[in-house]
Amino acid sequence: MTTRMVLALLALCGVLLAAYLSLHDLGIIGSLACGSGSCELVQTSRWSRLLGIHVAVWGVGYYVLVFGVAMAAVSERFGGDPRLSLALVGLTGWGVLFSGWLTYVELFRIHAICRWCVGSATIVAVLFALALLDYRAQARTVVGE
Amino acid sequence: MAKKPSNGRKPGKNPAMRGFYLLIGAIAVVGIGALSYLSARPKGAVSQWDSSLPKLTAQGHLEGSDSAQLEVVEFADFECPACGQFATLTEPDIRTHLIDSGVVSIRYIDFPLSIHRNTWNAHRAAWCAGDQGKFWPMHDAIYQNQDRWNSEATDNPDNVLAGIAQGIGLNMDTYTQCVKDKKYQAQIQANETLAESRHLDQTPTFVFGNKVIGGYETYDQFKANVEAAIAATKAAARK
Repeated sequence: MTTRMVLALLALCGVLLAAYLSLHDLGIIGSLACGSGSCELVQTSRWSRLLGIHVAVWGVGYYVLVFGVAMAAVSERFGGDPRLSLALVGLTGWGVLFSGWLTYVELFRIHAICRWCVGSATIVAVLFALALLDYRAQARTVVGE
Repeated sequence: MAKKPSNGRKPGKNPAMRGFYLLIGAIAVVGIGALSYLSARPKGAVSQWDSSLPKLTAQGHLEGSDSAQLEVVEFADFECPACGQFATLTEPDIRTHLIDSGVVSIRYIDFPLSIHRNTWNAHRAAWCAGDQGKFWPMHDAIYQNQDRWNSEATDNPDNVLAGIAQGIGLNMDTYTQCVKDKKYQAQIQANETLAESRHLDQTPTFVFGNKVIGGYETYDQFKANVEAAIAATKAAARK
C-alpha cells in the first residue's frame, strides 16, 4: 500500500469522525460517547462555531476535500501530477495549524479535552507527515527523471 | 507530451488498487452503518413536548434583587456541561460580588435542548422545587450532581432527582405529586419557545442589555460584560 493510499484511508476516517460530531451538533445523535464528559463541553463552547457553522461541519468539508485530492493522487490518471503532492502538503499543513489552534483553545480557554477532537488532531498530524513523505518521494522521482 | 509509463495492466485490474478500493468501500460501509445505527438508536422521549398544553408567557426565576442595576438573562439547560460549569464555578463568585451587592440579578430561563435525554426531568424537578420556594438550592444541587442523573448516568433520572430534592429538604409528597403531574411543563415549554424565537442555538446564552453572548463565562468575563452593559445603559440615559 502506498503512502497516498494510507493518506486517503485516514482522510476517510476523518470524514466519518467529523460526521459523527456534526450529527451530534444537529441533534440527530443523542449524546457523544465520551467517558470524561468533556466532549460536550468543548462541542458546545463558544469556540465550536466558525462563521456560524459548527467546526465539525467544517471538518467534514475539510476531510472530504483531502480525501478527494488523495484519491485523485492515487488514481492512474492524475497520479503522476506533482501538484497533487503540493496540494496535499498545503491542505494537511493548514489542518495541522487549525487543529493546533483548536487544541490550544481546549487546553487554555475551555480547560477541557474532547477525545474525538484529539483523535481528529492526531489524524491531521499523521496526514501531514504522510503528505510530506509523499512530497519528498515525488521530488526525488522528478530529480531522478 | 510524455505519457506515464504503463505497467501493462488496465486500470482496476491492479490487485493492489483493487484491494485499496475494497478497503475504502469497507471503511465507508462500516462507518456509514455505525453512524446510521447511532442516528436511529432510540434516544428516549427527548423533546417531551406536549402540544396539547396551553401556551403561556415565558417566565424565568430571578436570583437577586429586582431593583439591581442590571438584570442578566441566562438561557440554560440543566444537562448542558457548560451550564453546569457556569453554575458551579462562576455563579458562586457572582453571588458574592455582584448579586449580594445589588449590582446584578440573573433571570434563569429554561432552554432544554433536544440532544439531552434527561434534561426535561431536571427542569420539571427544579420548577417543582420552586413551588416550595427552593428553586435556587435545587438549581445548584442539580448542577452539582449533573453526572449522577444525566443521560450517560441513568435511564431513570426522576429517582436520582428525587434524592436530590430530599437532600435540600423539600416536602417530598408535594414534590412527587408536582413531578408526576408535570405541573410546570407548559411553563418550561413557554420558556423554550422564547429561546427558540430568539434563534439561540447554544447553552448557556447570556443577555447583557443589548448584547447576547453564548457559551461558558468565567467570573472576569461575566463581570466585564456586566460593567459594559451598565456603562452602555448609563451612556444611553445621558443622551
